[in-house]
Amino acid sequence: MPADWRIRAVACVLLAALDALHTSGAIAAASLEPTSGAPRQQFVPPAPGTYALPPIQQVPQGRVVDIDGRERAFWRYTTGRVTLLSFMYTYCVDPVGCPLAFATLNTVRERLLARADLARRVQLVSLSFDPGNDDPQTMRRYAGDLAAHNSAVRWHFLTTRSVEALKPLLDGLGQDVSVELDDRGKPTRVLSHMMKVFLIDASGRVREIYSTAFLLSEVLLNDIETLLLE
Amino acid sequence: MINMHIRSGLSFLVVLGALAAPLPASADETCNSPHTTALIKGQEDYVHVWVLGVKGLGDESDKLVTVDVNPASKDYAKVVHSLSVGGRGEAHHGGFTDDRRHLWAGRLDDNKIFVFDIGTDPAQPKLVNTIADFADKTGFVGPHTFYALPGRMLVQGLSNTRDHGGRTGMVVYNNKGEFVARYEMPTGEHNGVAADGYGYDIGINPQKNALLTSSFTGWNNYMMDFGKLVQDAEAMKHFGATMVMWDLKAMKPQKVMSVPGAPLEIRWSLRDGDNWALTAAALTSKLVLIKQDAAGEWQAKTVADIGDPAKIPLPVDISITADAKGLWVNTFMDGKTRYFDISNPEAPKQVYEKVIGAQVNMVSQSWDGKRVYFTSSLLANWDKRDAADEQFLKLYHWDGKELTEQFALDFYKLQLGRAHHMKFSARPKQGAAHDAATQARLSRR
Repeated sequence: MPADWRIRAVACVLLAALDALHTSGAIAAASLEPTSGAPRQQFVPPAPGTYALPPIQQVPQGRVVDIDGRERAFWRYTTGRVTLLSFMYTYCVDPVGCPLAFATLNTVRERLLARADLARRVQLVSLSFDPGNDDPQTMRRYAGDLAAHNSAVRWHFLTTRSVEALKPLLDGLGQDVSVELDDRGKPTRVLSHMMKVFLIDASGRVREIYSTAFLLSEVLLNDIETLLLE
Repeated sequence: MINMHIRSGLSFLVVLGALAAPLPASADETCNSPHTTALIKGQEDYVHVWVLGVKGLGDESDKLVTVDVNPASKDYAKVVHSLSVGGRGEAHHGGFTDDRRHLWAGRLDDNKIFVFDIGTDPAQPKLVNTIADFADKTGFVGPHTFYALPGRMLVQGLSNTRDHGGRTGMVVYNNKGEFVARYEMPTGEHNGVAADGYGYDIGINPQKNALLTSSFTGWNNYMMDFGKLVQDAEAMKHFGATMVMWDLKAMKPQKVMSVPGAPLEIRWSLRDGDNWALTAAALTSKLVLIKQDAAGEWQAKTVADIGDPAKIPLPVDISITADAKGLWVNTFMDGKTRYFDISNPEAPKQVYEKVIGAQVNMVSQSWDGKRVYFTSSLLANWDKRDAADEQFLKLYHWDGKELTEQFALDFYKLQLGRAHHMKFSARPKQGAAHDAATQARLSRR
């Protein structure tokens, strides 16, 4: 098993376990306070279709590369279905960063797979921050079976040819990222970024943005269903 | 900003250790949106002060003034930058975007919103956008509170274009400054409470899907001379008397609560899992607790007096400590700051007070609570006159028992103007991807 996969898997298992414990209430709130960075849902969200998600912005144009090395227009992955998009990099281990987004998307995927009426109308997209490291082969290893073409819920693992190709996508969506410098001012392999997941309608308009505090799978599912009910 | 860790050699224990790390803070140093990233947990480098221009003083224009506040700097306690935006439009409050790259700052009279780039070089903010159609586009007047949502800015208005009274609403923009949506404050009868439709501050508790708003007064009153206003019995009837709990996701009002006396700033407890916020009612001089009851319903109740309400000390800004055990409360009329022990939010106790100046309005504290900054201006027409019209930025150190002044900058002597809202920034430790040098670094990595 590749190191990246192990890291991600460990983080995800822990987060999933933590999430399950939150949901079940098996751990008292006080005991969770110092250990959990994952958001907690202490409310009943409004039912799908009872609220509106006004368009926030249009998804930018650009070129991306899939795990087969094919370069395609970004819109191919952000239109036609309701899309959940997250920027990531394969070696990110910040527990409330990429692994949290990954774990949440995976939870959403599993719950969608149980809803045949919704599953084929939704897709997930993970797009790398680091085209230098995350080439199509690396993204393929990272994705594993999740990228299967025959899955009802398609999950696209994408990268770009270069930082220059990535930049308009970052800027267009308002996703920050910066390179951590060491004490001598030299770049490290650490990327800092605000964790954001973008909910995009079938027309390619961003309809919701989730940062860590809002990344609750039940809310994401309701929002997806709200868009599908339009 | 959260740091990532090394890629290789990461063990189960390291991941476990990361999970056991302290929570990412759910709020900013003082009162920013909990969705603002890059919290400054250590020493802030700069304080940006949104300043009202004064006729006959300096260039007479509203401006964003940047003060170096790092004691290790050669420019400590000096104004290092001043950026005039042109004209005087009642500069008031500001707020960072979620990524803390931009500071939005509003004017209550001409309704302009200025967007400053702080992230590129916080020592030299740059004006990158001006939103001039807030009133025309929304029908609301007086963009007051700027509260970051992910990728968006939620702006609370104070008034409206129809009658310049207190009925108003909230507006959502995306981070590019493009209009997204508008929401009117509720009016009419809500479970026996008359919703006044007024607005002032915004506070969000994401774990509860709770958006809490307070209520002040309209343009007709906040632009009126204060001495004249308090003598105008009819005008004094037009102050907010409600707080509203909204369903944040749906952006729909859930409950209107009666809170007489113009409830102003909202401060949620920042402790994970807490379900309460405090506000100060300006005209009744009360601290009010908004908390869920045993059934989960939001209730508002008065929990303490602020000074002697009979003397109308006029509580203004408040600042909650990161551990939610202390609350600074400024009272404008007597120029005092008051520290309340809120370990039991049901029964706050004032344990300290100090006169900061002839008048004092805003208070902002560092994350560790050791540094407390004060500014002086309330509104151009409400500030005191003549010698009592002191305009300053002051820094005090707080050791838990006593405030000790570190520096005081006289904004009149410096030819700047009336000092109002403060926001902190720190020098960047990373290069941003939108920066050419960092792009090169990213490409070389």
